[in-house]
Amino acid sequence: MLAHIARRLLTAIPVMFGVLLIGFVLLQVVPTDPAVVRAGPLATPDVIEAIRRDLGLDRPLWMQFLLYLGRLAQGDLGVSIINNVPVAQELGNTIGPTLELMAGSLFWSIPLGILLGTVAAYWRGSIFDRAVMAFAVAGVSVPVFFVGLILIWFVGFKWQLLPFTGRAGPIWTLEGLEALALPALTLGGVFVGPVARMTRTAVLDVLGADHVRTARAKGLVERMVVLHHALRNALIPVVTLIGLQIGFLLGGAVVTETIFSWPGVGRLAVGAILSSDMPMAQGTIIVLSLGFIVINLVVDVLYAVLDPRVRAS
Amino acid sequence: MTAATSVVDAPAAPKRAGVLRRLATEPGAAIALAFVAATLLAAVFAPWLAGADPYENNLRATMRPPGGEYLLGTDAQGRDLVVRCLYGLRVTLLMGLVSLLIGGGIGVLVGFLAAFYRRIDGLLMRLMDMLLSFPAILFGLAIAAIFGPGIVAVVIALSVATVPLMARIVRGAALVVMRLDYIEAARAVGMSDARLIWRHLAPNCLSPIFVFATLRFGQVILLGSALSFLGLGAQPPTAELGAMASEGRNFLFFAPHIAVVPSVLIFLVVLAFNVLGDALRDALDPKLRV
Repeated sequence: MLAHIARRLLTAIPVMFGVLLIGFVLLQVVPTDPAVVRAGPLATPDVIEAIRRDLGLDRPLWMQFLLYLGRLAQGDLGVSIINNVPVAQELGNTIGPTLELMAGSLFWSIPLGILLGTVAAYWRGSIFDRAVMAFAVAGVSVPVFFVGLILIWFVGFKWQLLPFTGRAGPIWTLEGLEALALPALTLGGVFVGPVARMTRTAVLDVLGADHVRTARAKGLVERMVVLHHALRNALIPVVTLIGLQIGFLLGGAVVTETIFSWPGVGRLAVGAILSSDMPMAQGTIIVLSLGFIVINLVVDVLYAVLDPRVRAS
Repeated sequence: MTAATSVVDAPAAPKRAGVLRRLATEPGAAIALAFVAATLLAAVFAPWLAGADPYENNLRATMRPPGGEYLLGTDAQGRDLVVRCLYGLRVTLLMGLVSLLIGGGIGVLVGFLAAFYRRIDGLLMRLMDMLLSFPAILFGLAIAAIFGPGIVAVVIALSVATVPLMARIVRGAALVVMRLDYIEAARAVGMSDARLIWRHLAPNCLSPIFVFATLRFGQVILLGSALSFLGLGAQPPTAELGAMASEGRNFLFFAPHIAVVPSVLIFLVVLAFNVLGDALRDALDPKLRV
């Protein structure tokens, strides 16, 4: 088990290195001199020169990259060129809301997707099965912003049921929960379909397996067969497939945050890129990438825990 | 039953006519095929069909609702949405097509090289795994940050995100073909590698490439329009469906149709490609049917 985790960690290293290199490159394309920005408008040439030396900007590029890695290791991601706020601080404020949005979306969409997929697989070929499959295809075809705009227009604007701009506080307060509802519905809404589709395929696979036939043959109640013998085994591939879809979820989160003015990392990233705030863009891209790598690792390890065969191979 | 045995007898791709006939008998697939054909034609002939300039303002007819004089209404600058959508379809589809050709083309090459030259297989596939470990949206963000927002950034991002997916599929298909006797035979008669790949390997890997390209086209359009919606892709006033939806968002409460019309169009196009891709997969490769 530990060996498996160690191996996965090793393969993640070059990927992380690539991410950090991209972050470094982003800072190189800044049209302005970072030393001038840090020094402020009133600085004398001497001060700017000192800061330049301090930041290592007079050194060769590879040396600068090492210095950059050193600064990252200390949690120094630079300072926004728009409002002079440290990037790390801004990221600290936005990671929470992004996780909140993702958790709020997965919290309802995964169970619903698994339920729909299981029932569809059990009654394969029925009207219900066809409806679920149609819904799943629609789910992977609909633009996230379309779902969001429709919900804003009907639920938020026309019926005035729920707020649709920004975050109103932590989720354990009523206001916070209400503000999260529409964004979480939007993002989770496009996720139900893929989960249902994957579950259906996995359950269909297992329903044909020998041990399920044995369970039926020994006269087990149908509910026990489906829940204990089929679904439990089907959940193993579903976990991995859901893990693979996290990228899809991340893309949806960036759009959802933007539409609902949700103060998360995705919206911060888009805003930074649109305003050419490279230090901020660099920080958000590094954090989103690393977050994604970590989630992939967790899913992978989880998979190995669930299915001992993976560890052996 | 006879169809199944004939597939086993002849591993080559089924005849085109057979595939088309099978698609036509399935109502969903037939509608999707017709819709895809219609949108492609509409995009190609947009200038002749539109009959108006998609960038010309008409401030006396702004935000007209659909129906009446303007079939799909007008936007905030009084531009006819039928005209805008025709041109928007053109830009959106072209954006997707170019990304698919570049990313898919490189992916096919990598896939063949990996399957053919086993020595570089490990290296190439590790490289693909690295690319694969990033979601496309992150490529979109990073490349828009490096090159500045615009259609070029979107095309680069979508291409890069497509390469590893295509490479894996092609490698898998090519490895199966590589084991067949006639490849050995072609080698034995001294055929050059390039010729062997082009004449014998490639034609037998066409169906998975084609199926994947169809399914990927929908995803690429969805991603590209999302990036444009975020402001990282096509910039206003360019008529691009995602950018149009983004512009319409500002007028959502007065004239929802400005955002809804291009969004629905994206949805329908992507849906059609997805349904068609699924049907193609079922028709070309019954083994993959789920």
